[in-house]
Amino acid sequence: MIPNKPSKKIFQLGARYSPEFVCTPFKLTLGTFIESLERGATDLGMGGGCGYCRFRFYWQVQKFILEDLGYKCRWFTLDYENPKQIIQILKNVSCGYNTLQAIRAFQITWIRNRLTDLTDRMLYKYRAIEIEKGSSERVAEEVFDLIITTKKVNKIRNLKKTIPKIFEDRIEVDKKANPLKVVINGEIYVVLEPTLNLDIHKRLNEMGVITKTPITLRRFIDIGERFNPFKKMDFQKANAYGRKYVPYRVGGETQENLGDAVLYKKHGWDGLIHLYPFTCMPEIITRSIFPQVSREHDMPVLSLVVDEHTGETGFQTRLEAFIDLLSRRKEDNV
Amino acid sequence: MRKLLRVGLPKALIHYKFETMWKVFFQELGAEVIISSETTKKIRDLAVRSAPDEDCYSTKIYHGHILELKNQVDYLFIPRFGSRHKTDMGCPKFIALVDVLRSIYPDLPKLISPHLNVAKYGHNKIYFFKEVLKVGFIFTKNPFRIINAMRKALKADKLYKKKLIIDNDTLHKWERSEILLNKTPNEIPREKSLKIALVGHSYVINDNYCSLDIRKKLQEYDVDLITSEQMPRGLIDEQLDKLENRLYFEFEREILGTIMYFLENKTVDGIIQLMIFSCGPDSLAGELASIFAKRQKEVQLLQIVFDDLTAEAGMRTRIEAFIDMLKRRKEKTAYHIPTLRIT
Repeated sequence: MIPNKPSKKIFQLGARYSPEFVCTPFKLTLGTFIESLERGATDLGMGGGCGYCRFRFYWQVQKFILEDLGYKCRWFTLDYENPKQIIQILKNVSCGYNTLQAIRAFQITWIRNRLTDLTDRMLYKYRAIEIEKGSSERVAEEVFDLIITTKKVNKIRNLKKTIPKIFEDRIEVDKKANPLKVVINGEIYVVLEPTLNLDIHKRLNEMGVITKTPITLRRFIDIGERFNPFKKMDFQKANAYGRKYVPYRVGGETQENLGDAVLYKKHGWDGLIHLYPFTCMPEIITRSIFPQVSREHDMPVLSLVVDEHTGETGFQTRLEAFIDLLSRRKEDNV
Repeated sequence: MRKLLRVGLPKALIHYKFETMWKVFFQELGAEVIISSETTKKIRDLAVRSAPDEDCYSTKIYHGHILELKNQVDYLFIPRFGSRHKTDMGCPKFIALVDVLRSIYPDLPKLISPHLNVAKYGHNKIYFFKEVLKVGFIFTKNPFRIINAMRKALKADKLYKKKLIIDNDTLHKWERSEILLNKTPNEIPREKSLKIALVGHSYVINDNYCSLDIRKKLQEYDVDLITSEQMPRGLIDEQLDKLENRLYFEFEREILGTIMYFLENKTVDGIIQLMIFSCGPDSLAGELASIFAKRQKEVQLLQIVFDDLTAEAGMRTRIEAFIDMLKRRKEKTAYHIPTLRIT
């Protein structure tokens, strides 16, 4: 059962039953679970095991909270350090797939994910420079549909070439625009979930700023690219730069986030926005070291904390002020 | 005579777990060990002024201790503690603490920060030994001296733990009021004393400034205390095995394990849990503790959250109210022999 798109209401529902200073993803996932159970879900799935940050332990606490609220359900947890268990679980919840079919289904997922990431990149670029407002979003919706409905694997792979063409042909762009380019990174859930980040990509695109996020779930599930010795995924490149500041892994995306500031400055991007949930342990480390990275590489960085009390107006004001600063820097440098 | 190299050990965070081990190690290597003073208002003010504001209170205090020590020593020892167990981790902040400090304070002395992470990096005893040698060679060229220092340090640590952590028999004796584990003004254990388990991180329950002197306050009320640090490890593991997902924060295990043990065995009147605002593991373990405590009615749980703004008056009031309530419950359920009643 696919959960409903999260909304502020679900977020606050989760926050009501969550511990006082737990991190934001706990609250939103709890809210989503409550809503799904109300809609009739019987099994809940979540990450588990042992890790650096609290995430893997969420379900244990959420289970007791939901029990106390009177909900009954089964849980299954995925420990991504245990691939055998994941395949087993996928088999169990599928309709009678055998192991090979389960792995194949998984593979098709990550290939499709590559395409949705590509579509997002196109959207964040074209929405900033489009002449007819809303055209990019319409095209993106059609492309997402196309990705989901295309059945054969080789046809799916061909989409990689056709998607950029679709955007190029269908959307009229302002050729005189000289847009700012801003990278958005931070904690994975906050960056990917529009409810949490107040649809930051849309806000920036509407200000005429091209955005991009190197954060993607593919770093976990894209087995093809991850173990490909000839290809380096974005996060692996950023990792190399980040290690100069934090030489050992601390969980979350700390090293990648710090490295992104260096990497994207090299690629000519104008600024970086760092999003993270309140009390997120690894990201507080990132945030504390960003001033030094920003200074040393002359890359403006804005760190924004997000939780259920984040106000839209305040958020928007900070973004506008940051973009102002970047525009003025660009003018001064030209 | 060659001047001794001075090594600074900030008295905060996991120092409270490893003080004996580290002190003996560096002293055997011929260094002068300087441990920062107990936390004071001055340290706290330094801390709050310069540490990142979202860090947990204990990490900010660590910054304060570093600022106090930095001009008194040649080296600061800030180990990157990831994990020493095949699955259990410390807090991720410990691993990058030295990087954050280096980033914020440009004028620190030389830093010694060996890295250990058994769970995620697969470090084994040989790796640990190599890190020890690396640190040791800063102070001496003689590898045998380093090995000797390591052996003495580990032995001292073992002795310290033996004195601190009690075994099951001692625990049961305390539960029956036959012995005292922590001082009270009247040294003789009395049936009428309130038995309270004080649980929390070692750097909170042993830090008098951060915990607003709670141990002294409880002593004034003649409370018979046991702390989570003293509990036998076997019992803690037994309790935590009841959870379906392992609680993988090593230093949180003794906290939740102690609470679960006493909630099940009901051999204390109350449990006081000291939590730190914005502590990751505390937020989850504290929630579980609260849920379990609500599911039974014999043992009362008081959770106090500390941060840099916690006021002493408010805390004193809560403790008084809690103790009052426990006393009244005990009197109601106890079998009264009026002549033995002491008011």
